[in-house]
Amino acid sequence: MSRESAIAITGLHKSFGATRALDGLDLTVARGEVHGFLGPNGSGKTTAIRVVLGLLRADAGEVRLLGGDPWRDADQLHRRLAYVPGDVTLWPGISGGEVIDLLGRLRGGINRQRRDELLEQFDLDPRKKARTYSKGNRQKVALIAALASDAELLLLDEPTSGLDPLMESAFQRCIQDVKRQGRTVLLSSHILAEVEALGDRVSIIRLGRTVESGTLSELRHLTRTSIAVETTRPVTDIARLPGVHDVVAADHHARFDVDTAQLDAVIRELAPLGVRTMTSSPPTLEELFLRHYGEAPS
Amino acid sequence: MTGTVPLLRFLLRRERRSLPWWLLGVTLLVLVQSTQSQDLYGTAEALQRLRQTIGANTAVIAMSGPTGLLASIGGEVVFEIFAFAAIVVALMNMFLVGRHTRADEESGRAELVRSARVGRRTPLAAALLLAGLADVAAGLLVFAAAAGTGLPVAGSALFGAALAAFGLVFAALTAATAQVFESTRAMYGTVAAFLGAAFALRAAGDVGDGTLSWASPIGWGQRTYPYAGDRWWPLLVSLAVATLLGSAAVGLLTHRDLGAGLVAPRPGRARASALLRDAQALAWRLQRGALLGWAAGLLLLGIAYGSIGESIDQYVRENPEIAQFLTGGSDDILNAYLAVTAGMAALLAAAYGVSTVLRARAEETSGRAEMVLATGTSRRVWLAGQLSVALIGTAVVLVAFGLGEGLAYGLTVSDLGQIPRLAGVALAYLPGVWLVGAVTVLVFGWLPRAAAVIAWVVVAYCAVITMFADSFDLPGWSRQASPFFHSPRVPLNDLAVAPLVVLVLLVAALVAAGYAGLRRRDVGY
Repeated sequence: MSRESAIAITGLHKSFGATRALDGLDLTVARGEVHGFLGPNGSGKTTAIRVVLGLLRADAGEVRLLGGDPWRDADQLHRRLAYVPGDVTLWPGISGGEVIDLLGRLRGGINRQRRDELLEQFDLDPRKKARTYSKGNRQKVALIAALASDAELLLLDEPTSGLDPLMESAFQRCIQDVKRQGRTVLLSSHILAEVEALGDRVSIIRLGRTVESGTLSELRHLTRTSIAVETTRPVTDIARLPGVHDVVAADHHARFDVDTAQLDAVIRELAPLGVRTMTSSPPTLEELFLRHYGEAPS
Repeated sequence: MTGTVPLLRFLLRRERRSLPWWLLGVTLLVLVQSTQSQDLYGTAEALQRLRQTIGANTAVIAMSGPTGLLASIGGEVVFEIFAFAAIVVALMNMFLVGRHTRADEESGRAELVRSARVGRRTPLAAALLLAGLADVAAGLLVFAAAAGTGLPVAGSALFGAALAAFGLVFAALTAATAQVFESTRAMYGTVAAFLGAAFALRAAGDVGDGTLSWASPIGWGQRTYPYAGDRWWPLLVSLAVATLLGSAAVGLLTHRDLGAGLVAPRPGRARASALLRDAQALAWRLQRGALLGWAAGLLLLGIAYGSIGESIDQYVRENPEIAQFLTGGSDDILNAYLAVTAGMAALLAAAYGVSTVLRARAEETSGRAEMVLATGTSRRVWLAGQLSVALIGTAVVLVAFGLGEGLAYGLTVSDLGQIPRLAGVALAYLPGVWLVGAVTVLVFGWLPRAAAVIAWVVVAYCAVITMFADSFDLPGWSRQASPFFHSPRVPLNDLAVAPLVVLVLLVAALVAAGYAGLRRRDVGY
C-alpha cells in the first residue's frame, strides 16, 4: 500500500449544471515527488483538487487519495494531508496566529518550532486580526499552517499568487525542504517557471482534460527560450539551425526563440561571433498554449 | 477645501440607493404614529385616561419620554415616537459619516480620492455636509408628515427641527470618533455605545427628576416639548455640541496621518488559547458575540414586558381592543399576557436560531468551511459544532427572556419565585423554536442555495400566525402548520408533555435528514 500513488485519478468527470468543469481528467502523483499541476485559470485545477479532498463528488471516474476513497474516508485521509486553497478566506475576528494553531490542531498537531521559524521566514505578524490581512498575508497564514504540519501530502492551489518575489523564494526553499523530508506535494499553478523550478513531474490540464504529463525533461519539447543577443560580428544564418524559430535579425542584433533541447548547439554557434550582451527569458504558459493548442488560454 | 462640491455630489450619488430608505423610515414612523394616536386618543377624555395610566407606569416612561409631553395629542405623538425616530436618525448619520470617512480610509478608497486635487479636510467636510443635508431633509419630512396629518404647524416645525438638530450631534460625534479609531468596527461600536447611553440616560432621567435627561442628546430634543409648550432654546444646546464635536474632528484630523487613528487597534493573540481546539470551539468563538447580543436584547425585552405585568389587568380593562390579542380573552388576563409575551420571545428566539443555522451556509459559501473540512474534521462533526450553538443558544436567549420577565414582574409583586417560574415557562417554547431551526437544517442539507429564503419565509409565516391568527380568523390548517401552534401555551394552559416529546422527535428527524443531505452534496455550491 505504501508504494501506491499519493493521488491516482482516471477519467474524472464533474459538471456544475450545464458547465463541464472536468472532462476526463487523468492525474497520477507518485509518493515523494513534487508534482506540478499546470493550467490556465478556469481549466479545472481547483475543481480537481476539491474532488481529491472529497468536498465535491465525482460524476464519473476513479479517484484514489493516499490509498483510500476521498469521498468515503475524507476525514481519515485528511489527517495525513494539508491543503492551501487558492483563494484563502479567514475568520475576520481571529488573529493569524490563532488560525495557524487552530488549523494545526484540526490536522492533529503542529510543530511549534517550525511554526515560529516559518512566521519569521515569511515575515508575518501573527497578532493581527485576519480582517486586516492582505490577500498575500492570508495566503501566508494558510501556507504556514500547512508547512508547519507533519502531513505526508501537501495540496497547494496556486499558493504564490498573492506573494511578492522575496516571499516566493522563501516558499521555494520551504518546498525543497519538504521534498528532502520525502513528503509529497501537488502544486497547482498557471506560471510555468514556478513549476519548472520545483516540479519533478508536471501534468498540464486544459478545459478539464489532461493534455500532457511527464517529467520536465520529457516535456522539454514544449518549452522554448526567447533569446535577445548583441554580437561584435553580424549574426547571419542563425535561422538555418534546427530548433530556432521566429528570427528577427539586423546587423549586430538578433531576437529568436529556440527549443530548449537545441539551446546548447545555438549557444556554440553564437560564441565565435563575440557575444556582447545576451538576455534569455523562459516561455510563458500563454505562449506555450498558443503554440501547441492553437489558442490563448482565456 | 478644494473639491468639496464635486465630492459632495459624488457622495450623494453613492448614497442614492440607501439614503431614501432611511428618510422614508423616519417619515413613516411619524406618519403612522400620528394617525394611530389621533385615532386612539383623539378625544380629551381618552387623552386624560392615558395620562393617568401612563403617568404611573415607569416602564412606559422609560421606553418613551417625559410625561410633560402628554399635554396635547401632538405631544403624545412626540412622546411615543421621538426616541425611536431619534435612533433611526442617529444610525443614518452614523453610517453617512462613517462610510465616507473612516470606512473609506480603511478600504483604501480615501487614498485614491486624496491623491486627486482634494484638500486634507475635504472628505470630512463633504461627509458632514452630506449628513447635514440628510438631517434637514429628515426634519422637513417629519414636519410635513406631522402637519400633514393635522397636527399644529408650529409644533410640527419644532418637532422636525429637534430631530434634525439631534441628527447633527450624531453626525459630528461620528466624525470625531472616526478620527480616534483605526478600524471602522471600533468606530461604529463606539458611536452605537454613545447612542445606547443617550437612550439609557434619558430613560433614567425621565423616570426620575429629569436631571439625567439633560446629559442626553435625545433628552435635549424631547425637552423642546413640541405641541406642549414649544420651547425652542434646547435646540441651541444640540447645535452648540454638534459644532464643538465637529471642530474637534477637524482639529484631530490635521494631527494624524491618512489611515492612522489616535488609538492603535488592539492586537489579537499570537497563539491560540488551549480552548480553540476543534470545529465546535471555533463555532462558539465566532458566534459568542451574537449570542450575547441576542441574550441581552431578550433580557431587556423580558424586563420591559415583566414590568407592566401587574398593571396589565387594569390596562386591558381600559383598552378593550387589546383583549382580542389575548387568547384567553379577559378571564385570565395575566396568564394570557405572559403566554403571549413568551410566544413573542419564542418568535425572536426562532429568528436567532435560524440566523445561527444559516451561519453554517455563510461559512460554506465564503470558503471558510472548506478550510475546516479539508482537515480531519468530518462533515458530521463540523455540522454538529454549528448546531450546538443553535440548540444551546436558543435555550440561552429564551431563559434570558424568562429571567428578565420574572425579575421585573417578581419585583413589582414582591415574589422572586417568579424568576425560576417564568424562566421555566419560556423554556416550554424551546422545542417549537428548535423545530424552526431544524427545518432550516433540512433545507441547508438539501436545497442550500434556497436555504436562507425558505428559512426566513418559515419564520415570517410563524410570526404572522402567532400575531394575527386570532384577530384575522385564519383557517385552522394554516395555524397547525406553524410549529408554535403545537407548543402548549403556558402559563395560560397546562404544560402538556406529549406534544413537546413529539416536537423533539420531529426536530431529531429533520436534523438527521438535513445531515443526510449535507453528506451527499458538494460543499461550497
